[in-house]
Amino acid sequence: AQSLASSSRKGKRKDWIKLIYASDLTPAEVLHGKAEGDKEEDVDDFFTIKHKSDVGEVEALDKGKEPIDDVELEKWQDEELLESIRGLFITGEDSG
Amino acid sequence: MSSSLLTFSGHQFLRQRLVLSILSGKHVKIDRIRPEDKNPGLREYEISLLRLLERVTNGTVIEISVTGTALLLRPGVISGGLVVHDCPPSRSIGYFLEPIIMLAPFSKKPLNLTLTGITTDEDDLSVDLLRTVTLPHLQPFGISDGLELRIKKRGAPPGGGGEVQFLCPIVKQVKTLNFVDPGKIKRIRGISHAVRVNPQFSNRMIEAARSILNRYIPDIYLYSDVYKGEESGKSPGYALSLLAESTTGAIHCAEAISQAGVAPEDIGLRATRALLSEINRGGCVDRRHQTLVLLMMVLGSEDVGRCRMSEPTEKTIQFLRDVRSFFGTSFKVVPVDSSNPECTQLLYSCYGTGYINANRTLA
Repeated sequence: AQSLASSSRKGKRKDWIKLIYASDLTPAEVLHGKAEGDKEEDVDDFFTIKHKSDVGEVEALDKGKEPIDDVELEKWQDEELLESIRGLFITGEDSG
Repeated sequence: MSSSLLTFSGHQFLRQRLVLSILSGKHVKIDRIRPEDKNPGLREYEISLLRLLERVTNGTVIEISVTGTALLLRPGVISGGLVVHDCPPSRSIGYFLEPIIMLAPFSKKPLNLTLTGITTDEDDLSVDLLRTVTLPHLQPFGISDGLELRIKKRGAPPGGGGEVQFLCPIVKQVKTLNFVDPGKIKRIRGISHAVRVNPQFSNRMIEAARSILNRYIPDIYLYSDVYKGEESGKSPGYALSLLAESTTGAIHCAEAISQAGVAPEDIGLRATRALLSEINRGGCVDRRHQTLVLLMMVLGSEDVGRCRMSEPTEKTIQFLRDVRSFFGTSFKVVPVDSSNPECTQLLYSCYGTGYINANRTLA
């Protein structure tokens, strides 16, 4: 599964069908890639260490909408970007 | 019966699994619900949702383990009819209404559901977006006549006190979707509301939104919705909900909710920029409505349904996996334009299961 994630990051395009139906990645990993900090675990060990993420993390709620990403929205203060999407409106040119 | 029992783990994606179970008639067992939590098991709002599902169906059996960390659902038939339900203040009405909207068209009798609680919050779709964006998403599937959401009272968090009435017609079968042309944005609509605060806040949000939007198209109508006295709920709050509609009927939406210490102008700008970001993503379906549309495509008549959308959200990815578990249907998900690497939009297609509403009473 890890090789799949890295290949999709390198490759220009994700193979969505494969990622959705034929991988063990969680939905978050499919979208954002596997977390970098994850250490390789020794599978032969009798005891397995509990993932930090399992305990004490803020619970992910089953939400109807994703929170607004304010950092992402800052780019919309840029006049050029505002102009660049004019083509998506009926009044805009057909340049795309 | 073991062949029709599906098992899942964890509290996440609970609502979609319950919906798929009820529609497919397959029993579902969900275990390991917050087993490591200081307060393990199902939350108050999840129990409330299970009660609501029990009320809109007939013969549903729900078993919850002593610790609340596991549940078994044996679905009955969706009965519909007149139902009243109080939503706890821990979640807004949107949390409860979303799964109900997926089920209601397949009831025995048209659903007439009254829900009370919080009408707008940060986590779930507000009743304004449910009314103006979610319900129109059902129209291409042939669910439209008599479909209505009435906002009788508003209720801001934390007190709530709002009330809505949801009316849904029943259908025999849903139409196959073929929606691949996103069109161009022709109009923008918005609902700005302010309860138990200065009513001017509503106009200030609208002005801020117009300062950005006016450049694009003339057809912009932002409505200031005023609720007074009893109808304005128990807590103060305000919000701006925006939607953009294209020439082909594609709708994209965004909203921003009042926060302590933030001026109404900034809330207005936040909602507006979020809307532009959605318009920029493009596609024929709003991102928060991917699962609703995909579900109706699966239930569509036995033909290939196609829809152009932006990249799937986390919720959508899990939904596609869960749909395959319950209905055996896989989607084909391919880039719309494989020659243009800039284009991230995808074409989702599947062969409908030809789902027929067997609960429907023959008139």
